[in-house]
Amino acid sequence: MRERKITLLGPEGTNVSIFFLFLIFNVISWFTLFVLTEGIELNFNNILIRQIVFTLLSVGVFFLLTYISIENLRKYTDSFFIIIVILLAALLRTTPKAGVRRWFDLGPIDFQPSEFAKVIVVLFIANFFIQRKSKYPLFLYLGLILMLILQQPDLGTSIIIGFVIFSMIFVSEIKIRNFVLIVLLVILAFFLFLEAGLINENQLDRINSFFSVDEDFQQSQSKLLISSGSLFGQYFELEKVSKIFVPVETTDFIFAAYAYNFGFIGVLLILFLWFVFFFRLTQILSISNSDFDKFVITGFITLLAFQIIVNISTITGLLPLTGLPFPLLSLGGSSMVSTAVIFGITNRIFIENNLVI
Amino acid sequence: MFLRNRYNYLALIFVSYFIFIIYNIFSLQILNSSDSIKRIDQQTLDVFYLTPPRGEIYDTNNEKLATSSLEPHLFINLRKINKDNIDQYKQYLKYNFQELKNSDLEEIFSSKEILYLVRNINDLDYLERQALQELDAFEIFDYPIREYTYMNIASHIIGYIGKPTSEDFEEFPNTIKTGIVGKSGVEKYYENQLSGKAGEVVFKGDEIVDFILPESGEDLYLTIDIETQIVATESLLEGIKLANENFESENIIQKGSVVVIDVDTGEVLTMVSLPDFDPNKFVKGISSFDFNQLNRIEAFNNFAIQGLYPPGSVFKVVAYWLAENEGLFPDGISSRSNRMKCEGNLSFSFIDGSQQVYNDWKEDGHGNVNLSSAIQQSCNVYFWDIALKIWRTYEGNENESILQEYARNLGFGKVTGIDLPFEKSGVVPDRDLFEEWTITRPELVRPEGWLGGDLMNLIVGQGAITTTPMQVASAYKTLLTGYSSAPYLDKNIDSVQKVKNYDINDDFIEFLLSDLNLVTNKDGTAYFAFEVLGRKANDIGGKTGTAQNPGDKNNTSWFAGVDSISNPKYVIVTVVDEGGSGSAVAAPISRRIIQHLIGEDLTPVKFGEITE
Repeated sequence: MRERKITLLGPEGTNVSIFFLFLIFNVISWFTLFVLTEGIELNFNNILIRQIVFTLLSVGVFFLLTYISIENLRKYTDSFFIIIVILLAALLRTTPKAGVRRWFDLGPIDFQPSEFAKVIVVLFIANFFIQRKSKYPLFLYLGLILMLILQQPDLGTSIIIGFVIFSMIFVSEIKIRNFVLIVLLVILAFFLFLEAGLINENQLDRINSFFSVDEDFQQSQSKLLISSGSLFGQYFELEKVSKIFVPVETTDFIFAAYAYNFGFIGVLLILFLWFVFFFRLTQILSISNSDFDKFVITGFITLLAFQIIVNISTITGLLPLTGLPFPLLSLGGSSMVSTAVIFGITNRIFIENNLVI
Repeated sequence: MFLRNRYNYLALIFVSYFIFIIYNIFSLQILNSSDSIKRIDQQTLDVFYLTPPRGEIYDTNNEKLATSSLEPHLFINLRKINKDNIDQYKQYLKYNFQELKNSDLEEIFSSKEILYLVRNINDLDYLERQALQELDAFEIFDYPIREYTYMNIASHIIGYIGKPTSEDFEEFPNTIKTGIVGKSGVEKYYENQLSGKAGEVVFKGDEIVDFILPESGEDLYLTIDIETQIVATESLLEGIKLANENFESENIIQKGSVVVIDVDTGEVLTMVSLPDFDPNKFVKGISSFDFNQLNRIEAFNNFAIQGLYPPGSVFKVVAYWLAENEGLFPDGISSRSNRMKCEGNLSFSFIDGSQQVYNDWKEDGHGNVNLSSAIQQSCNVYFWDIALKIWRTYEGNENESILQEYARNLGFGKVTGIDLPFEKSGVVPDRDLFEEWTITRPELVRPEGWLGGDLMNLIVGQGAITTTPMQVASAYKTLLTGYSSAPYLDKNIDSVQKVKNYDINDDFIEFLLSDLNLVTNKDGTAYFAFEVLGRKANDIGGKTGTAQNPGDKNNTSWFAGVDSISNPKYVIVTVVDEGGSGSAVAAPISRRIIQHLIGEDLTPVKFGEITE
């Protein structure tokens, strides 16, 4: 392990900006959910209380990860990969909920393995790249995990993972010619998939409706909601718009509710904070001596940035609906904890590179 | 090797796309904001609510009692029906679904709803369903079908469902959306838990623009054991049949009730009320003929909590407890073991000079009786003597109602608080009540008001007192444990409040159990009913009751007992309305249920000895 001089907060030290950004995103989520809460019952069914509990859990996970050195994490990456493949396979044997097999029902909460699959895929690829061996089996492993997630079916997560894979391959030593070839092959495979009927009818509907002239109703409603937020938002307005019909506004469509309540100023604020976060992460790419660090950080940046991009694009009608949460804003334990894992690992990378601010 | 310069290209793509997104939101929120707000005001959306599947109901062993399955139903979008196509749709429905009458079609097409449920199409095959969907105004949605596995069994506990009325809307606002409400039983009591969340079909004009799936209600786990419930129902039916064969009653005997509750917890293991009904009939809508017929025989009344009967001799345990606790025994006796002579009647004079004779049910008397044998043989004279002593000692002062206070302490005169709707409280009469009744219900009371004779009636469970079978079971539970708590049906109920009764100690419980045991053994009133159990009867106990009714109504037959003296687990109470002698009818019914509870082979209900 590399030597470190300074420690701050927690047993192994904490990077202040990473940790505080993590907290600020959580607090923004509370404020947004607070408006969407009906009544102030103090139990676990209350969305705000749920999210606060998830935040506390996530902070715990964040600090837990400061104990694990990046080298140890790397060593166990293959094991994590096997575990997540088993979990994803087991998931396909459960009874479908609303037509999909996406969650394990654990009493008061649902556990969504594909949220963690995203993180593990990043570690797995990074580990693969720094080992000097043939790169071709990689596609077999990644193909397997993508197949399992598509079978749930969860198109949104599959696409995100696909993009993360592309980005990480792109920054590796691969020849541009080969890269283009791979991208073309994958696109071809995707359409073969469509032909073979392996994509859920529902998702096909969504894709078809996207290419048709009619605008999706849910998207038209979320656009109206965002639009009526104006510059400063309607957070302090007593008479709220009630004629708008936005589904899953606490999860996939929460950004619409956020934009409505906090306006364009709020949108700029949250995107600026994420920009700061990504900018900080980019510094590792210049400082660190470890390629593993760099690949992991690239993976995390693309993972989170794509998620934000796809989420905002779908609710503003730029892309067809896929059903992805907005990191750290949407209500949901699995998404929150898996993002905490990303922040935790990032934090560890920072302190191993002696960056504490 | 990590290639930093390639990352820069990647970052460039991201940053450009973020700028594109920001511009997009800028155009939405800043450039088009006022336009959007206007559009929202103009937008009219209508929502049609789809009934969600209710939660399932299970018994204590996770046997399914009520299920909800989703079946495809044909709905018609009435907004798409106009002058031009109305006849076409009418013809289509008439031709394809011949059970639809003209009046049904009228009703469908004159409805003010957006969507109208035409029929269940579970019987149609895939192609037929496809054919329906080709027509623009037809929509197919899943609609839940409630099914009650055991039909009539436990129908009063489970209850039935129906279309909500304006009162239901007020009580359960959610039912405006769900369109179905529990009308009785736990279906009503746990409506909010069971009902689920309605699905939403969103209309913009005549087009469906969005659809949100309904969410199932939560399941309900009951304390009921369906096996015991079935045995108890059979036993009660057998007993009622025998009673009809053996008595020449003016009326047909058909009403009765059995209650079995756990002594320690108050869990209701079984609750039978007869006559019963099949709740499945309400799912598709019961015909008014069937409804009226069932209503006439009071099949919808849960007599276990709504039947009000004079308790007769099963009430004697209240005086038994009072005598023990206050040391209040008949004149000349100072302890439970002292004996008095019962000559079959009691004659006495009042201060005003009037003379009265009370005759025991056994004309030649019970001989020398003490407290134990007075319970064993159900000797009225012994208890009348106690009443007389109370009257002579306390008449007119605050202790005059000491017996009533003991009764109320055991829960008589008020609801038990069981988790079911429409429970009745019954009445424990006293001077105040009679004074009230002389004004409000003068037909019920004599002009003289409350007299010593009323107290004498009360002490043997006669006269104006009324109780429910559940109250009696609950009172026996309290006397046998020293704790009172509300009986309950929901296995996962949050908290059961147990209240210690400090006037009931372990010695008393032991006395009571051993005296109840005398009743089911030699010389006891229920001896013949329990004879078939042989030596097992040594561990059983109970009390018979035969309550007289006003007018030409036959006596109410009662039995209240426990499944075991050494280790009491359940209290069993059986009532047969107009069933006659408790020892002849209610006791053998209870015996068969106890056989089931203690794992003995069941023997048929046999008409017992007529006592009391």
